[in-house]
Amino acid sequence: MTDAPAISKSKSTSTSTPPSVPPSPPRATVRETVVRTVKAAGAAIAQLAGGFATALLALGVLALLAATALTAPIGVGLLLAPLSLRALHALAGRERARLDRVGPEVIAPEPPPTRLRLALTDATTRRELRWAARHASLGLLLGFLGVLLPLSAVRDSTFPLWWQLLPKGGTSTSIGIGSAHSWLDALAVLPLGVGWIAIILGLSPAMARLQAEPGRRLLAAGPDIDLSLRVAELTATRAAALDAHATELRRIERSLHDGTQNRLVTVTVLLGAARRQVARDPDAADELLERAQSAAEHALAELRSVSRSILPPVLDDRGLAGALSGLAAECAVPCRTDVDVPQRCAASVEATAYFVVAEALTNIAKHSGATRATVTVRARGGRLQLLVEDDGRGGADEDGGSGLTGIRRRIAALDGTLRVTSPKGGPTRLEAELPCG
Amino acid sequence: MRVVMAEDDPLLREGVALLLGAEGLDVVAKAGNAEEALDAIDTHKPDVAILDVRMPPTHTDEGIRAAVEARRRHPGLAVLVLSAYVEQSFATELLSGGVNGLGYLLKERVGRVEEFLDALHRVAAGGTAIDPEVVAQLFTRSHQDTRLDRLSPRERDVLTLMAEGLGNSAIAERLVVTDGAVHKHIRNIFAKLDLSPTDQVDRRVAAVLQYLEESRRAR
Repeated sequence: MTDAPAISKSKSTSTSTPPSVPPSPPRATVRETVVRTVKAAGAAIAQLAGGFATALLALGVLALLAATALTAPIGVGLLLAPLSLRALHALAGRERARLDRVGPEVIAPEPPPTRLRLALTDATTRRELRWAARHASLGLLLGFLGVLLPLSAVRDSTFPLWWQLLPKGGTSTSIGIGSAHSWLDALAVLPLGVGWIAIILGLSPAMARLQAEPGRRLLAAGPDIDLSLRVAELTATRAAALDAHATELRRIERSLHDGTQNRLVTVTVLLGAARRQVARDPDAADELLERAQSAAEHALAELRSVSRSILPPVLDDRGLAGALSGLAAECAVPCRTDVDVPQRCAASVEATAYFVVAEALTNIAKHSGATRATVTVRARGGRLQLLVEDDGRGGADEDGGSGLTGIRRRIAALDGTLRVTSPKGGPTRLEAELPCG
Repeated sequence: MRVVMAEDDPLLREGVALLLGAEGLDVVAKAGNAEEALDAIDTHKPDVAILDVRMPPTHTDEGIRAAVEARRRHPGLAVLVLSAYVEQSFATELLSGGVNGLGYLLKERVGRVEEFLDALHRVAAGGTAIDPEVVAQLFTRSHQDTRLDRLSPRERDVLTLMAEGLGNSAIAERLVVTDGAVHKHIRNIFAKLDLSPTDQVDRRVAAVLQYLEESRRAR
């Protein structure tokens, strides 16, 4: 998923952007009209300036692409190609985000393929290229004007105030034609400034629209790109999420029925047996009661671990990083955590990550004989990567009741992957990857 | 009495074995899954097999399938199935081949030792033991059947105990009434529900269960 909330993103209608100016009341007062025009022009200038920045970047990307194409025959270009394609996609993404901010949303197409051969023939890549070419030419020019016009307007309309401060001969108009030698000359520049202002007020919204047009047309998912694909993908993702949810519920149901409930049944069985023994053999009855009590304690411990496994409260309080450093602090083996996850993942994913690390650290403390452990967590490309390492004696065994089976089951429930390497003599590495959901 | 026991939870398995041993029953083999249980039944030919429903590998209905398979291999083998919860489809599957020498109880009934031993002996002797919960569920699901409404509360109690597999005198003892009173109730029940009267416990159980099952389906 590139941008999850893409379809249902709502946008507040801003009175400052030209495309979304509210319908004028039947008889707007002069003041209202002036205010609206000035605001629209201001927003348009800001847009043009923003477009100027991405246009400069587009020029840079085009230069990079040209260099890539030119050096391809001698091999260098082949090495540059992935980099320049990535730069193009990144810039296109940035432009989409910018256009999103100033107007209606630009619905992004499927992310283009990363493999070179596919990327070159990919429709999205080609459309982005066409956009870059236009934006770096017409868009750059419009953007430049958008920056220059206000500067000229200020310069020329205030010219009479400061023209005398300039050195002789350097006192020309902003367009460089004619030079002022007298007050009359200087005052004559004034209308030029007023003209600039008129141009800004009258034309800048249209210029901003013109500058944004290629981006809105070429960076959005094209008519040839079937949105039903995207719908299908979202449906599949949702189905997978529901499926993972069902698997998770099944896991909870199972641990309640096969764990906690069995403990409680054991309690009743032992109590029943004890009641039968009370009269016959009080000592034996007492022993049974002792076992019943410890079975009840077992039941409580399992209930605790089941409810913790559903959603550890600490995750809500302190987030994944905080929760994991809490686990590390409690671990009997000195443990360092390094968690770099900028965004929150789905609750079930965080809960699973927490569970996996908790189980892994328990294993390390119980079995490994390690003197230190490290927990590293990263979010990369929509996946959460966990790495738990120790310097212990290794030889971790899935069948040895080490909790690895439980770890594997929970990871599989979320469609994640688990790899454990634990040669005899150590060290043990547990790597897990989960989709962020 | 020689017993083969299958239960995947080691603590519970030992607990029940301990209880049965203390009550003078001979637990000849303990199994942790259905396959081990079937092997043990083949080897030891016990008087009764006690099977947990949910066992490895899938933790769904291994015990039920093992019970059906064991009775196919050894016709007339008494089997008592213990379940963590009542599942109508399990009961139906288990009882579809006849109710003789079959039991289906919730696990926690084991703790009521006297009643559990009663049920175990009844099953081993070719009788039936159906958990009250199963019967209660059948009742609630068939409550739209008007003929059941004709029963008095006391007759309902008797019907439930009959369906569980209890004989006349055991019902009388549970309800603290005379055998004669129970006999009268049962005659009324059979009349009101259009069942053919019978004195044999297993046929009574079958008739009652069949009636409840049918009235449930007919809804």
